[in-house]
Amino acid sequence: MIKKAKFFKNGIWYWLFIAPTLLSLIIVVLIPFIIGIYYSFTDWNGINQPVFIGLKNFIALKGDTEFWNSIFFTAKFAVACIVIINVVGLSFAMLVTRKIFARNFMRTAFYLPNLIGGLILGFIWNFIFVDVFQTISDATHIGWLGGWLSTTNTGFWGLVIVTSWQMIGYVMVIYIAYIESIPTDLIEASKIDGANSWQQFRNVVFPLIAPAFTVSLFITLSNSFKLFDQNLSLTAGAPGNTTQMITLNIYQTAFSAQEMAVGQAKAVIMFLIIAVISIIQVYLTQKREVEM
Amino acid sequence: MSRFGKGLALLLVLLMAFSVLISGCGSKSTDQSNASQSKTETTNKPVTLDIFQFKVEIKDALQNAINTYMKENPNVKINLETVGGGQDYGAALKAKFNSGSEPAIFNVGGPQDVATWKPKLADLSDTKAAKEAINGTLTGVTQDGKIYGLPFDLEGYGLIYNKQIFSKAGIDPSSIKTFDALVNAVKTLDSKKKELGIEAVFAFPAKETWVTGLHLSNAFLSPEFDGDVMKAFNSKTVEFKYGDAMKQMIDLQNKYSVQPTASLDYSTQVEKLFGTGKVAMIQQGNWVYPTLESLDKNFAENDIGMLPYPVPGYKEDSYPEGVPMYWAVNSDKPAEVQKAAKDFLDWLYTSDEGKQIVTQQFKFVPAYNGYSADSISDPLGMQLFVAASQGKTYGWVFMGYPNNWGQNVLGADIQLYVNGSLTWDKVISHAKQAWADARK
Repeated sequence: MIKKAKFFKNGIWYWLFIAPTLLSLIIVVLIPFIIGIYYSFTDWNGINQPVFIGLKNFIALKGDTEFWNSIFFTAKFAVACIVIINVVGLSFAMLVTRKIFARNFMRTAFYLPNLIGGLILGFIWNFIFVDVFQTISDATHIGWLGGWLSTTNTGFWGLVIVTSWQMIGYVMVIYIAYIESIPTDLIEASKIDGANSWQQFRNVVFPLIAPAFTVSLFITLSNSFKLFDQNLSLTAGAPGNTTQMITLNIYQTAFSAQEMAVGQAKAVIMFLIIAVISIIQVYLTQKREVEM
Repeated sequence: MSRFGKGLALLLVLLMAFSVLISGCGSKSTDQSNASQSKTETTNKPVTLDIFQFKVEIKDALQNAINTYMKENPNVKINLETVGGGQDYGAALKAKFNSGSEPAIFNVGGPQDVATWKPKLADLSDTKAAKEAINGTLTGVTQDGKIYGLPFDLEGYGLIYNKQIFSKAGIDPSSIKTFDALVNAVKTLDSKKKELGIEAVFAFPAKETWVTGLHLSNAFLSPEFDGDVMKAFNSKTVEFKYGDAMKQMIDLQNKYSVQPTASLDYSTQVEKLFGTGKVAMIQQGNWVYPTLESLDKNFAENDIGMLPYPVPGYKEDSYPEGVPMYWAVNSDKPAEVQKAAKDFLDWLYTSDEGKQIVTQQFKFVPAYNGYSADSISDPLGMQLFVAASQGKTYGWVFMGYPNNWGQNVLGADIQLYVNGSLTWDKVISHAKQAWADARK
């Protein structure tokens, strides 16, 4: 009875405190999400009264090659980004957790790009790729520096570079937190056992920062799939919509072609893809985590 | 007890949600009372006009014009509201109508807008302005013999050139009245690149799909639809009768352009390359004038001109000109309000005082007869106005393209064509297919 009374007391404060957040979450995320799913089964174009048309939008998507191309492009992009961001991010984290010169300065410098908004980053890098690269190429006759963002390939790598540059610092911070929480006695013990630094990293550090992988992989995965600003400001799908990611494709469908319902159907498919991949990824990486 | 706690919590949540609703309703009801107040004022005083327009650039000048008009007509009270310049005017207008405070005068863009808003559009064929409108400017807003809009202004494009570079190369721009003459001039300029100090002849911004997919294609699709936007709007298919000519024009601009064109954008084209004299010609319209003027006033005033946009086999010495937006009057308003709205628009575009404002303060190229060419302040606009009065123009049809088709299908494919990853035949067949699909 006493316990129950205590729970009641906690309960009221508990609910009071989370109510504003919960409420806004319901109003701006949950309810629109459900309404959105409803719209994907209608013929809504933004003006008319929506009429229920069943699965027609989803069936029509089968023949939409541009949409599937954008999904394929996004998947390719996600793979490249996840590998580069995590490998480089972890390397940077290893670097700045050593006792080296200017480590605090380097931490700040690596993290800084993450503070710039995606749209602005895209415009800045657009200038670097198109103008600076071209100027260097003209002066030095290095062929591969010319014509960036004018082909699908350079557009792809342009996007990967910008996104990686922005995300690496963020992921690095996560790795630093986990690396610094490793007890020094474990490292010392491995040293006494005669482990070299690679063995130390592979067999001691790596397993202990497995939870960091779960978090970082999840963040990079969902961010890569949901990327929009950088895509819009860097390439805008040029040339010929071949560097268009899912989100940009949805935006074009909903707001340029004014087919709101079709765009919504695409968004539902995108949600399913991200949800399935993320759940599998979290399940797999969590299994690898070790308890200390 | 715990159930009671949960119940209380739920109650609190509901209460908060409700309070949000109440406050939401509260502000709305005050809005409505305001609206009804102004309505009663309307019946007391003669007429109140609400204008809801999109052109941010003329906001202040239009307010001045309104003040002048109100001084002369004390019985008319005009409220101006402007939404535009990066904000979605169409969405704002829908919200305005849904909220119940419908404006008396608003803007429509072309056949698609007229179809959407038709139940709200008053017939304007009895206005003086409609009678004075230059031939062809009203086709996009005319249905069943009724005129639903009055043109804002004329805009047009062509090949804007640098006079100094042309005279240094010994080319007389007035002699370029055919596509072949243009090709010769381009070749001459290209052979003298070093002496002239230019990087290339053109700057062809294939990245901007509106330049290629809307404006460039418009020149070659206009003859197919007789320059009539309604024909394009109602057409189930597109033939590309002048497709070969279009290919020649793209090839010419692309080949002699600063490379790579697929990533060349508008500001690079206008400001960085043309504005600094690094290219001799660009395909653009009179809207670039303020930008060039802000870079170098002297250059903009004296050293630029516009060549016609040649379509071999159709018109080779003419400019594509059109109306970007129209004024519309709300047919649900009382007759005296509609009358006042028409009177105001007539005054603005056909009275001497209004004409002065339109050309000097709005800096418009007038879409109406009865203006003198000297009153237009920028050289590009003047050239377009003279061409229009001589009939050396052809109409804009891209407002009649299917949604998204011009930019996202044709313009996007042209990017792939200029970087070599798509053949011209594929560009055309895809564009035809997409048009037919959209108009099914």
